[in-house]
Amino acid sequence: MAESSWLERPGLDKAAGEEFLREAFQVLLDEAVRKGTDVTEKVGETRRPPARWWGGTERGSLPDRGRIPFPPSPQVCDWKEPQELRELLDLELRSSGELPERLLERCRDVIRYSVKTCHPRFFNQLFSGLDHHALAGRLITETLNTSQYTYEIAPVFVLMEEVVLAKLRELVGWSSGDGIFCPGGSISNMYAMNVARFHHFPESRQKGSWALPRLALFTSRESHYSIQKGAAFLGIGTDNVHLVGTDERGKMIPEELEKEIQRVKAEGAKPFFVCATCGTTVLGAFDPLDGIADICQRHGLWFHVDAAWGGSALLSSKHRHLLTGIERADSVAWNPHKMLTVGLQCSAFLLRDTSGLLQRCHGAGATYLFQPDKFYDVTYDTGDKTLQCGRRVDCLKLWLLWKAAGTEGLARRVERAFAYTRYLAKEVKRRDGFQLVLEVAPAIKERMMRKGSMMVGYQPHGARVNFFRQIVTNPTVTKDDLDFFLDEIERLGQDL
Amino acid sequence: MDSSARERPGPRRGGASPPLRSAPGSHREGEMEDGICKQEMLQKKNAVLVDGVVLNGPIMDSKAGEKFVEEACNIIMEKVIQKADDVTEKVCEWQDPETLKQILDLEMRDAGESHQKLLQLCQDVIQYSVKTSHPRFFNQLYAGIDYYSLVARFITEALNPSVYTYEVSPVFLLVEEAVIKKMIEFIGWEEGDGIFNPGGSVSNMYAMNLARYKFCPEIKEKGLSGLPRLVLFTSEECHYSMKKAASFLGIGTENVYFIKADERGKMIPEELEKQVQRARKEGSAPFLVCATAGTTVLGAFDPLDKIADICEKHGLWLHVDASWGGSALISRKHCRLLHGIHRADSVAWNPHKMLLAGIQCCALLVKDNSGLLKKCYSAKAAYLFQQDKFYDVSYDTGDKSIQCSRRPDAFKFWLMWKALGTTGLEERVNRALALARYLVEEIKKREGFQLLLEPEYANVCFWYIPPSLRKMEDGPEFWQKLHQGQVWGYFAFWMLR
Repeated sequence: MAESSWLERPGLDKAAGEEFLREAFQVLLDEAVRKGTDVTEKVGETRRPPARWWGGTERGSLPDRGRIPFPPSPQVCDWKEPQELRELLDLELRSSGELPERLLERCRDVIRYSVKTCHPRFFNQLFSGLDHHALAGRLITETLNTSQYTYEIAPVFVLMEEVVLAKLRELVGWSSGDGIFCPGGSISNMYAMNVARFHHFPESRQKGSWALPRLALFTSRESHYSIQKGAAFLGIGTDNVHLVGTDERGKMIPEELEKEIQRVKAEGAKPFFVCATCGTTVLGAFDPLDGIADICQRHGLWFHVDAAWGGSALLSSKHRHLLTGIERADSVAWNPHKMLTVGLQCSAFLLRDTSGLLQRCHGAGATYLFQPDKFYDVTYDTGDKTLQCGRRVDCLKLWLLWKAAGTEGLARRVERAFAYTRYLAKEVKRRDGFQLVLEVAPAIKERMMRKGSMMVGYQPHGARVNFFRQIVTNPTVTKDDLDFFLDEIERLGQDL
Repeated sequence: MDSSARERPGPRRGGASPPLRSAPGSHREGEMEDGICKQEMLQKKNAVLVDGVVLNGPIMDSKAGEKFVEEACNIIMEKVIQKADDVTEKVCEWQDPETLKQILDLEMRDAGESHQKLLQLCQDVIQYSVKTSHPRFFNQLYAGIDYYSLVARFITEALNPSVYTYEVSPVFLLVEEAVIKKMIEFIGWEEGDGIFNPGGSVSNMYAMNLARYKFCPEIKEKGLSGLPRLVLFTSEECHYSMKKAASFLGIGTENVYFIKADERGKMIPEELEKQVQRARKEGSAPFLVCATAGTTVLGAFDPLDKIADICEKHGLWLHVDASWGGSALISRKHCRLLHGIHRADSVAWNPHKMLLAGIQCCALLVKDNSGLLKKCYSAKAAYLFQQDKFYDVSYDTGDKSIQCSRRPDAFKFWLMWKALGTTGLEERVNRALALARYLVEEIKKREGFQLLLEPEYANVCFWYIPPSLRKMEDGPEFWQKLHQGQVWGYFAFWMLR
């Protein structure tokens, strides 16, 4: 066929594509959203797809797979060894494409063998659950498929991101400031480190760190490992991350911080940055921010608060006292994708500065993207403040969730998570066998995963051997799920 | 009803949706607790209250939530998907920022909004967003829509995984491994390593840090202070992420030496050789060359073979930023543009650009197979990468990353590849370049259009010379007016849509 006539037709089969989209949406709604979140779903039932959600045209020509008995499927996860799963998934990429029926089967398989992080018994990480409004926001984000760098390309989202960041700053206690959404809390922490370095040594941006004195930064020994990764990545060096002692609750001891700073100064290094943690990853501890802020002020150090996990407590008037003093920070990292169930990723880097520090630190003024002679006010082109070029729209899901729930609704969600913890702590104290930090945790973990009934994380900690770390944030969890959690551990571990 | 059973507001499948408990048209977070449901709960003798929170009833009305998702998807289908190829629709509904702020009702309040209002907000967001799938959206290096990638993205949004460990993300981790392996095949390596990143800029940073680590592994612990001044080389046409990376990594923007490009925008190898020699004489430590395969503006491809020769001679890491041009590797007709790429130590390649994989889909591929990526980046966090797991922990690849949580960006590429096959993807690349060729021919035929240069890729760069300027002599005044005129022309184009 002549090349020109080939170009006269579109290169995509729209009708087939839309049909596939409709069918696949049905599958994901049923298998991932409904089934994934419901503990009462029985194992081994024959699946019938629900009545067609999409009004209008007739159902497509794809066979009605829903009438075929679907093999029994455990709930939280359907454990397979890596080699077996590779074979089941048939991962190879070949030169020809496949039929829609086969692709739909693949979608089902992917959903089946994926861990249901939305399930009420998924307790493995610091995120879990599914919020329908946030999900709708995410689906819209995917469909609109744009990058967040300039107003011309993402007008709605550039304005929206500013409003969302302002709201988060308000909760921190700042009436003004700056910020950006980052691809993860680790990167938010790295932004803080880089901005702090630039603030102390503006010439480091051009000259590099080789000309600087040996820098030193401080964080608790309970801090997130991204501080280490950040120090390495930024050319500061992990040896120059000084870990400060914590008390028995996992909170940084301010007197130890002061001692450490003095010691490091005496060695000739230059302290520039302290990272306090609000909600440590393992113990959920909150560092005493006022005490640490005093020290930072005295020594002229940048005060960053990694509130990636604990930041959401700011929403609750009952619990925000845990972050007393956060308004004294120079920067804050806060991940709504954790406790607020917004969906990965949603990680805010917030800055108290209003002088354009973030822009000066990162801006490169690329002339093909950030032309100064555009026909609108180019201060709306906020993309140059970031390290990224293309950047996902992470604000819509949080904004839509907030519109749906209101600040009050989110506060209730946070309070519920705290209530779960209190309930669980009481229950654990009550039951025999739950006091000890168990070396049997890995064995119980294996059993629960093979069974697929729930998931929870474990780890060693200092001198303590492996213990379970139960995190509950999913708003659909009820007391029954927590009772089940403890019962199941007992069931799985009783013969160990 | 047994109070120990989960409370649900009605049957879950078949038949009409049961009426919501809340008032018609409203859906409020926690209304189940504040309204009728809470009263019912408290009346039951077995209501469990902890800190004033009822724990034996759900907080969310999942039926209403599911309905919302369905209705939002109806809107997505009607307003975006079905109109995606309709050229009578606008590419964008332009409003200046202050006006748009008024129109959108962005404020985040204490109370939640009603179901209908929320759907209206979704409609507004869509209406005022740019339609990047429109056939006349040509603004960036990404455009269009692929249905299979979109389905894959919908699935991953619903499943919400994080690709750090096999236990949490078994499917997506294996998929990523398979995709990386396939991409490596196209580069021409027997084996290798890689990871998906949040952007080509981040891939370039990874490569820079990896090269630095290879050069001097101690930097990971000791940092740069007191070390010789590291220097890297890249073309003056390179992507600006090289500067951002140099500053972020502590190398410093002054230590990025920009190599002159020829009139086609390609790095001149002789100039690279000169600069490397100069850097050595100065006493600095060259460690990396970044070549670009498909520059952002002109779409130029640096001569990789010659650059590789120089890197080999001087022991420098060769990174190829093929974020834009990498997809030409899939086309047998056009892969010659990247001849020599197999000699690179690392490659950045973004399928979300020409292959329509969906933002973001960015891989860093590494030739090394000795675990360099992991050694460079790992921190071995004990709460996540426990060594005593019940499965082979070498599958927990998340420690190769600078990120902790990470999105399953390879999956949408994989499903799209399964749907189209290599042949289908190849057609996509060939078509893009055929369209570019067609446009070039048309531009040559039309008065008032002037090509900057004959492209070899998909970037067609041209001037439009308005009639008023066509008789003007070539000189500074002409170019000044033309420079402003492009702005005017651009503005008029938007306004006339």
